[in-house]
Amino acid sequence: MSLTVVSPLDERPLPEGSAPPRLASVGGARIALLDISKGGGEVFLDRVDALLRERYGVSEVLRFRKPTFAKPAPEAVLTDIRKAQPQAVIEALAD
Amino acid sequence: MPMLANGVVAPPVPGQPPSGPSLLAFFKADCPACHLALRYLDNLARSIGSGDHVLAVSQNERASTEKLMRSLGADLPLRFDRDLTASAGFGLEAVPALFLLDQAGRVLASSQGFDKADLNRLGGKLAKLLEVPDPELARPGDGNPDFQPGCVSRHLEPESDTAAADIPDLYSRRAGRASRIDLPTEADAEEWCYESGYADPLPVVPPTVERVERMLAESGLSPDEVVAHVPPNFGAASVEKIAANAVMAGCRPEYMRVLVPAVRALCDERLDIHGVQGTTHFAAPLAIVNGPVRLELGFACGSNVFSNAARANSTIGRALQLILRNLGGAAPGRIDMSTMGNPGRFSFVIGENEEASPWGPLSEDFGIDAGRNAVTFFCAEPPRPVSEHKAREPRVLLRAICPVLANLWSYRVCKRSEAVVVIGPEHAATLGRGGFTKRDVVEFLFENTGVPVSEYDGDGGEGTHEAGFYDECVIRGVRCYRKFRRPESIRVMVAGGPAGKFSAVLGSWATGPRGSQMVSYQFA
Repeated sequence: MSLTVVSPLDERPLPEGSAPPRLASVGGARIALLDISKGGGEVFLDRVDALLRERYGVSEVLRFRKPTFAKPAPEAVLTDIRKAQPQAVIEALAD
Repeated sequence: MPMLANGVVAPPVPGQPPSGPSLLAFFKADCPACHLALRYLDNLARSIGSGDHVLAVSQNERASTEKLMRSLGADLPLRFDRDLTASAGFGLEAVPALFLLDQAGRVLASSQGFDKADLNRLGGKLAKLLEVPDPELARPGDGNPDFQPGCVSRHLEPESDTAAADIPDLYSRRAGRASRIDLPTEADAEEWCYESGYADPLPVVPPTVERVERMLAESGLSPDEVVAHVPPNFGAASVEKIAANAVMAGCRPEYMRVLVPAVRALCDERLDIHGVQGTTHFAAPLAIVNGPVRLELGFACGSNVFSNAARANSTIGRALQLILRNLGGAAPGRIDMSTMGNPGRFSFVIGENEEASPWGPLSEDFGIDAGRNAVTFFCAEPPRPVSEHKAREPRVLLRAICPVLANLWSYRVCKRSEAVVVIGPEHAATLGRGGFTKRDVVEFLFENTGVPVSEYDGDGGEGTHEAGFYDECVIRGVRCYRKFRRPESIRVMVAGGPAGKFSAVLGSWATGPRGSQMVSYQFA
């Protein structure tokens, strides 16, 4: 005899995200770096910031920071990033 | 353009103008803070009664707006700012945005984002203008946050040529019924569940319709009622989905009376299970049960309290973990990226041994009367043992706990951790006989736990960079930094078996409003 079971899973189709198109070149671009506030993140990002300018000719590096790594970015941070209109955002994890 | 100032006559909003003082609420359908605000505003409109004094101005088209209002169970008069000119004219930056207008359309007060204080202020003023009683809309501790930042107003969003995403029903109260799946006749049901991604790596009880129905009958709740949305995927934990996972975990039907409030507490934003689900740290949510339900359902509170002693602890804890995985999406290696993990990720539930305690229950610390049933969550590291078999005096005994506390998170990191200290019954008896109240215990542990300043010798290790922010003290003649921010960072409870002079210390994950805060829920 066949059994009938009740699905214990979330049955919604999860929306599939896709990466935005890559920039052909970062030369002359405005790039935002989002620091998620993990210890040591700023050390790593300072170096990325310098390399983007010195080695890749990025015109401007904009720095943003989440108040805590423990929670999703608040809307205010996302709004600030959108307002600055960078060509690309690099969300920089740490650890 | 800045937001309209008080005293300025507001630009027109599409549709019939209100017939008197009004509260205008701009919102968009995919903004969680708007969903929260609309539910309170719907209550405001209902308390005022007739008229169009509370108007909801949607930044979306009619279909998605009406779908949202149905899911919220709200029945507010709607206006549609289709071309977003009103939103721009009012100078919105974020939604929800509230404007209280007088009869002549002048702005009397305004607010952006979800803020209970603002809702009460504006709702109260509108009630006064209309000469109706102040409805006291939003009370603290009603299960919703006091404040939640809004989302950017749609007229400020960058242009997009892709269709808007479907509205996530984060605040829906009803879910669709779960699918019924006929297993192939030749299938081994347990293997089938495992292969279908239902289970942790242990065998599960197949969630047959009959078993799930027995759970539902015992709960007395509607199967489609949504108890919580489980982060980070925010799958709806309907009573039926909770029941299906409870069956799989091996729960008895009567455990639903604990599971339902436990799922609600687990998804309380203050606990931040969202962060804990994805952390690399050791943390797992520990549930601590208080009240008569411990004895009624046979929770382990004594010997082996942290291990495999009782069906209630083991299966309720496992059901919670299956719910986090199956509805929240936190499977190991996908979202759950814990470096070392935690045995508590299989199951992590203890009962307090209230009968062996000289003090009130842990839930009393959170304002719940002793004798009431409660479930309290603490996102915890695995237990660290304390052995002290010689001490006959409280201070000597507590000195054995201090160095274990000093090691939480990382030895030289101070002011970051919180702790739950689980005092074993023999230790509890020593403390009780010595006349120590729970407060005395907490204060002694706070005052006597520190890290010697000499440990901070410039090697750059974890915790040393922040030493300038630590609080210095002297412990037994040694200059130290105090380990804890405040005495309330340490919680004390009693559990464990009657023999053995052991206690246990559990450290926290990230703490405070920027991390995880303990929550305690009372239930019947």
